[in-house]
Amino acid sequence: MIRIENLSVAFGRTEVVKHVSLDLRDGEILGVVGESGSGKSVTALTLMGLVSDSARMTSGRILFDDVVLREAGKPLDRALYRSYQGAKMSMVFQEPQTSLNPTQRVGRQVEEVLRLHGTLTKEERKKKVLETFLAVGLKDAERVYASYPHQLSGGMRQRAMIAMAVILHPRLIVADEPTTALDVTIQNQIMALLRGINQKQNNAMLFITHDLNLARRICHRVAVMKDGHVVELGTAEEIFERPGEEYTRRLVEAVPSRMKRISDAESDRKTGSESPVLEVRGLSVYYQEGGNSLFSAQRKRRAVEGADFAVYPGESLGLVGESGCGKTSLSKAILGMNRRIEGEIIHHSVRPQMVFQDPYSSLNPAKTIGWLLQEPLRAAGALDRSLAMTKGDMEAAAYDMLRRVGMGEEYFHRRPSELSGGQRQRISIGQALISGPGFLIADEPVSALDVTIQAQIMELMRRLQREMNLACLFISHDINVVYKMCDRIMIMKDGRIIEIGKTEEVFENPREEYTKLLLKEG
Amino acid sequence: MKYLGKKIITLIMTLFLVSAAAFLAFQIIPGDVVTSILGTEATPEREQQLREELGLDNPPIVRYFNWVAGVLKGDLGVSYRYSKNMNEMMPVAELIGDKLPVTLWLAAAAFVLIALISIPLGVFWAKCASVPKRGSACLSGFLDAALGVATQAAMAVPSFFLGILVTFLFGIVLRLFAPGGYVGYKEDFWSFLGYLLFPALSIAIPKIAMTARFLRNSMLTELRADYVRTAYSKGCTGRRVLYGHVLRNAMMPVVTFLGMIVAEVVAGSIVIEQVFGLPGIGRLLISSISTRDFPVVEILILYITFVVIFVYFIVDILYRVIDPRVSEK
Repeated sequence: MIRIENLSVAFGRTEVVKHVSLDLRDGEILGVVGESGSGKSVTALTLMGLVSDSARMTSGRILFDDVVLREAGKPLDRALYRSYQGAKMSMVFQEPQTSLNPTQRVGRQVEEVLRLHGTLTKEERKKKVLETFLAVGLKDAERVYASYPHQLSGGMRQRAMIAMAVILHPRLIVADEPTTALDVTIQNQIMALLRGINQKQNNAMLFITHDLNLARRICHRVAVMKDGHVVELGTAEEIFERPGEEYTRRLVEAVPSRMKRISDAESDRKTGSESPVLEVRGLSVYYQEGGNSLFSAQRKRRAVEGADFAVYPGESLGLVGESGCGKTSLSKAILGMNRRIEGEIIHHSVRPQMVFQDPYSSLNPAKTIGWLLQEPLRAAGALDRSLAMTKGDMEAAAYDMLRRVGMGEEYFHRRPSELSGGQRQRISIGQALISGPGFLIADEPVSALDVTIQAQIMELMRRLQREMNLACLFISHDINVVYKMCDRIMIMKDGRIIEIGKTEEVFENPREEYTKLLLKEG
Repeated sequence: MKYLGKKIITLIMTLFLVSAAAFLAFQIIPGDVVTSILGTEATPEREQQLREELGLDNPPIVRYFNWVAGVLKGDLGVSYRYSKNMNEMMPVAELIGDKLPVTLWLAAAAFVLIALISIPLGVFWAKCASVPKRGSACLSGFLDAALGVATQAAMAVPSFFLGILVTFLFGIVLRLFAPGGYVGYKEDFWSFLGYLLFPALSIAIPKIAMTARFLRNSMLTELRADYVRTAYSKGCTGRRVLYGHVLRNAMMPVVTFLGMIVAEVVAGSIVIEQVFGLPGIGRLLISSISTRDFPVVEILILYITFVVIFVYFIVDILYRVIDPRVSEK
């Protein structure tokens, strides 16, 4: 019913989509997987007629039920597209937070689809929006209708987006990473919802994702994209069980799964025999709400309650939980960035260093890599004269660290903007390690990276841990990543650590219901 | 309501702080009102006598609180310099009451011009700038660039020169008004307003350029937002996206900016008042500072502070109206 024939799209001179041919039947879910930059999103946006004006279609055409929507060399027929957009084909985006207009009520935004297509009266439109809200699982439909986006949770916002996409029962739904920005437990609900709609309305769905586990679970067929090409297209089973192409095989292997672990036998260390680098006893962390102005009363809110654990040299301790569970509050308290605490935090090593999630914003773009790597040494020298090093020593240390994180000396004089995401994360890690701490806190260090890069960074961290006998508190929402990386694991929920134990034991015999839920959905 | 109460308390506290600071400044800066009135040739007895008349023999702290008590009772004090007749000095209230309306009307006229011209101009400019620069879009590309140059020039011209330019163009070449022919607002309000239009225009031109530029950039940023793509995916026309979705979001920073401009304009446009010979408070402020006419300066400073805070208060409320996220923080 939908045919993309030999599609090529270029930005300026660079082609980002090259001779892509795909087709979709009613009721079918076609997954498009690939790493960032593979052209999967541009393909979807071109299909929807939403790709930015600077993109040019250089070959091919797009057909919807034998109607040519778009053809290379001919200008985009906006009026034709508008009659399809929202009515016959619709899209669910990745970020429900930013994809809704922040200053318009949600009900009105959904209703706009009806206003644009069709002739319903005001009352009929509202009735239909409310019905659709109920159908996508927004039980408090009236309230959602009158709410602004920021008043809803992430999951509710995505449901509202889905309501907007399905309200006119379009033949095609394009879903671009619809669950990536959501928590694991919510992810599954949203996927179940999309799946249910697909079965009930029998619409075709183009499902774009970088998450291969997800693609495997819900797609009938899967197309693997790399550098603008479709390298392999087949049924989900074929792609994942018998990948034909080398690249597909690598992609499938890089996916963190329960089968493969990096933490090897050697890492099954006898925790407890050594003295810990960090002990946390009965720790509660608070943060203040309000209090920005002279008059508003300050309220204390407890973010972490009664945490008890220790981290031992050379081990990786995983900290898993959904957003808002207190993971970040806990790590901030350990770093000394939040002092509103009760209980004890005892450091037996130098202050821990931190690796952040987003390697794009956590490196100062104006400085060279060499400068960035030396900065912790300079800071330490400025604080404590006895630690001050000569310029030559610092440079030598920076070169040494570049090598250790697997990058060539030529990067010393480059700037962050010239590096890829994975390379930047390597530099962040080098920056954290250069002052030789015995303890590292990594807050979602691989969440912003592609799967193959993820695997490389995790390997690197494991290797450095071995070489430097480094303890690591590894924070993540992705239970599979934690399984791959960590010796022990802590599960956090609503500010409490509900389960802690050796990774295998927790995975094989989870004690808590919540842990079981996380394991099932991850 | 609680919010309003807080704002009023803040306003009162700020007025106190600012008036005390101004008072203190007058103690510190060199120069003596008595010498400035009597000249250097006066006898010490005469000086002492005047000092007592003006209440300057009291210690500063007493004078300050006397002054505050007076203001609270509605007595704004008397000028040290301007006399009403042979025996009486001019009360500050009368002195300012005459000039304040001129400045306020000038500010209002300037603001109306700024708002009416800059917002449509900014929207139009953003439309030109957002069209991709190829093929038939030549004209909009040209307009985009031309507006860029024009606004740059408008912002760069110093205001006294702009005043002269406006006088020359509208007064002498086009003969739309008589330069120097100021009519008091009490005499003929409409002629007054007609005359005011041109100084208001001189004030407005650079601000229009800034605001339009600001709105254009704000709209272009918003046009790249994710929700714009969502709107297109529903089948919205470009026009609908622009007016229905983008404009309101793009106005948020512009409202803050307009607030800053209003505060600036209402506080008096000294240069423009001078160029067009308007008897507003800008001129009064300058002459009062140079002659150490403290009671007048204090009241003018209070007025300016009040206006600035009040305008920001209005901006705050507007912000809450435009952006539903603000009121819940």
